[in-house]
Amino acid sequence: MLALAALHWLAPLVLNPYYATILARIGIAIIAAVSLQLVNGVTGQFSIGHAGFMGLGAYASAAFSVYLGAALLDSLGASGLVRFLYFPLPLVCGGLVAAAAGLVVAVPTLRLRGDYLAIATLGAGEIIRIAILNVDAVGGARGFSLASASHTAVDLRFESLAGVYAVAAVSVAAIARLVYSGGGLAFRAVREDEIAAESLGVPTTRVKVEAFLVSSFFAGVAGALFAHTEGYIHTNSFGFVRSFELVAFVVLGGLGSLSGAIIAAAVLTAAPELLRGLGEWRMVLYSVLLIATMILRPQGLLGQRELLGLWKSHGAARS
Amino acid sequence: MENLLQQLLNGVTWGSIYALIALGYTMVYGVLRLINFAHGEVYMMGAMTGYYAARWLGVAGTPSVAGLVGVLIASMIVCGLLGALIERVAYRPLRGAGRLAPLITAIGVSLLLQNAGQLVFGADPKFFPPLLESHEVLRAGEVAISNIQLTVLVTAVLLMGALEYIVQRTRFGRAMRAVSYDAPAAALMGVPVDRVITGTFVLGSMLAAAAGILVGLANPKIDPLMGLMPGLKAFVAAVLGGIGSVPGAMAGGLLLGVIETLVTGYLSSTYRDAIAFVILVLILLYRPTGLFGAPQTEKV
Amino acid sequence: MALLEVSRLTVRFGGLTAVSQLDFAVDEGALVALIGPNGAGKTTAFNVITGVYPPSEGSVRFAGREIGGVSPHRICASGVARTFQNIRLFRGLTALENVRAALQGAHRNGARDVTRGPGWQRGERAAEDEARKLLDELGLGAFADARADSLPYGEQRRLEIARALATRPRLLLLDEPAAGMNPAEKQSLRALVAQLRRAHGLTIVLIDHDVSFVMNLSERVAVLDHGEKIADGPPEAVRRDPKVIEAYLGAEAEARA
Repeated sequence: MLALAALHWLAPLVLNPYYATILARIGIAIIAAVSLQLVNGVTGQFSIGHAGFMGLGAYASAAFSVYLGAALLDSLGASGLVRFLYFPLPLVCGGLVAAAAGLVVAVPTLRLRGDYLAIATLGAGEIIRIAILNVDAVGGARGFSLASASHTAVDLRFESLAGVYAVAAVSVAAIARLVYSGGGLAFRAVREDEIAAESLGVPTTRVKVEAFLVSSFFAGVAGALFAHTEGYIHTNSFGFVRSFELVAFVVLGGLGSLSGAIIAAAVLTAAPELLRGLGEWRMVLYSVLLIATMILRPQGLLGQRELLGLWKSHGAARS
Repeated sequence: MENLLQQLLNGVTWGSIYALIALGYTMVYGVLRLINFAHGEVYMMGAMTGYYAARWLGVAGTPSVAGLVGVLIASMIVCGLLGALIERVAYRPLRGAGRLAPLITAIGVSLLLQNAGQLVFGADPKFFPPLLESHEVLRAGEVAISNIQLTVLVTAVLLMGALEYIVQRTRFGRAMRAVSYDAPAAALMGVPVDRVITGTFVLGSMLAAAAGILVGLANPKIDPLMGLMPGLKAFVAAVLGGIGSVPGAMAGGLLLGVIETLVTGYLSSTYRDAIAFVILVLILLYRPTGLFGAPQTEKV
Repeated sequence: MALLEVSRLTVRFGGLTAVSQLDFAVDEGALVALIGPNGAGKTTAFNVITGVYPPSEGSVRFAGREIGGVSPHRICASGVARTFQNIRLFRGLTALENVRAALQGAHRNGARDVTRGPGWQRGERAAEDEARKLLDELGLGAFADARADSLPYGEQRRLEIARALATRPRLLLLDEPAAGMNPAEKQSLRALVAQLRRAHGLTIVLIDHDVSFVMNLSERVAVLDHGEKIADGPPEAVRRDPKVIEAYLGAEAEARA
């Protein structure tokens, strides 16, 4: 908590806005990567359309803020306290809309196995993106800006880096707690051997749908954060290229490792921004790295383990 | 009625492009059980290679059938080699590594080709040289067919016919079919599995390259990202027809082209790209083995 | 009323009939063996009883209720557990986690895993204790924190049994539990099975190839051949039944041809 408070007040003083933006993007990438890891790495269901849920969360939360939030803040007076209380609302809104979509996608597609599931999720992600693109109320092909509110005095953007990381911490902790508990073993059991799990009483379809729901909720939250820190969104940021990036984070970090996903997301989001001139080479680097990793070290950075066995000890064994 | 016929004609033309690309997906899936995500990029490379080949062969300025044929051959050779290279470098090391690793690698190769393409060719669109001068060939009232459309259709049919011949009547085709039914058994029978797989990639890539050239003829604006959507859609076509089935890919491609054109023409054009994905999801839900595929059960 | 009643069960896969008109009943508390040459349909019968495949014809009743075609996890919840012929442990998880997954997989906490109130800790500790007890009972206490796929073969087989027991079954189906074991190991497995049966009040049906392993353990033996039941009775009678001898010898002759 202390760290967050420090971050909140010191950050704007110490960091120039460029670095603050990068750090915000890292925080958002972490949430998205960990949420995807729950489905792909922990539960073993290969989803490659995750950016669609981020996009839904981004657009839903932006629409919420622009059409409802602005009026709300305007009438309540946009003081620090009011903004602090308002902060979770668009995020939860984004998360819930994304989760609803997750449910709609999950129920029919989780019957499919392996490659077919992956392709179905890719298709779903694209359908979501194209559907959003066709909604004029959120800008369509022009993109959507938080500034288009009719209450122009209100600034809907979130400036606080601490806020982003608070959300990231809560999200990661929630997912970690879900996974590393007695009941959470069900997710990994489904990954390890679905038939055996089912024969031992684990309701595998329900478990998979749950993983999908939780995962898409947090993807939506990440998207909502993105919308509110960037101030302007376009469906181009939520296409399958972004989905593939998230898959890269999850795989390179180690399929099944939450801390691995965090590290990969942080490093791969920060590196190209900081290494100036890398620009167009960023994606080339990603792809080469991805290919090389799959051939030379398919378990990625941490495989299925966690850094410092941190979460494994969290309530799993007493010792 | 005549509008419908025109739409159908356009649909079949586009469909044959999808079919050519879909064949590559389906053949590779048949022998390797791998979805070669990078295949759309081979199609793009076909168009790009054609662009440069036309300049290099000196036929860019003057339309001629010979020029077209030359460019086709050059592009098919280059892309065939590219396909073999991809298989050798990216997929062969992962033989037997499960289903996930090759899938991820395929995504990686796709991304690599797109982005390397942007670096090497420049991200701006180029204009494919008019290797044939466009003019109407046939007209029946409101329905017209241009020579370019005719070329696309005829070339596609010829290539698909050639492929069908190879698959059904040559030793290589027999070997390919054997490997797709049961690779270990085929190996035990003396089939050179590695070479067959490489050959499959080469064949598929050549067809994709041809598709790229034909598209360049019909829609001259080409760019390094042009492979994304058609690639995905052709994949949908392959799944629609039954992934692993050669006639399925042809049927799926034609069907997808026609459906897309009809829906775009009669309903709405903004959802054009979504149609393929909706079809994909529907097929996966209701008949995952596609129109011509066979169901599989898992032994416990 | 028998605990398990299989009536006129027929299972077809495409053109192949794996099980044909099988009638088979098991009383509560009994220990019955299902034997027969390879491909006789024994594992298929198990798969239908546990819900992995639906019956093509016929019915399967457990504790009076029809379970044919019901999903495996619901069948398990009503009290049927099994082990697998080809070991299907959760290989990346530890032995303890394997057992806990079976213990807690069906009764999950959902959101309470995230909020972790005081009751949660107690629940987790209780579950862990129970899992460790089961491991100890099967002589696996020392392997609790070892990865399942690092266990020696015999221990892996016993872990499969521990996992199945964690679901608190009334009926336990053991599919080739002694496969790959040497005579000494089979001896101790026999003792273990008998002991578990007493300790947990289990009804047991077991499949095995090894006729002598089965003869000394079970009270009743049913024999399948090419999907049909050809004998059913006390071990001694079955051993001498000419049809049974022919089925096994016939299978041997086919194998040698």
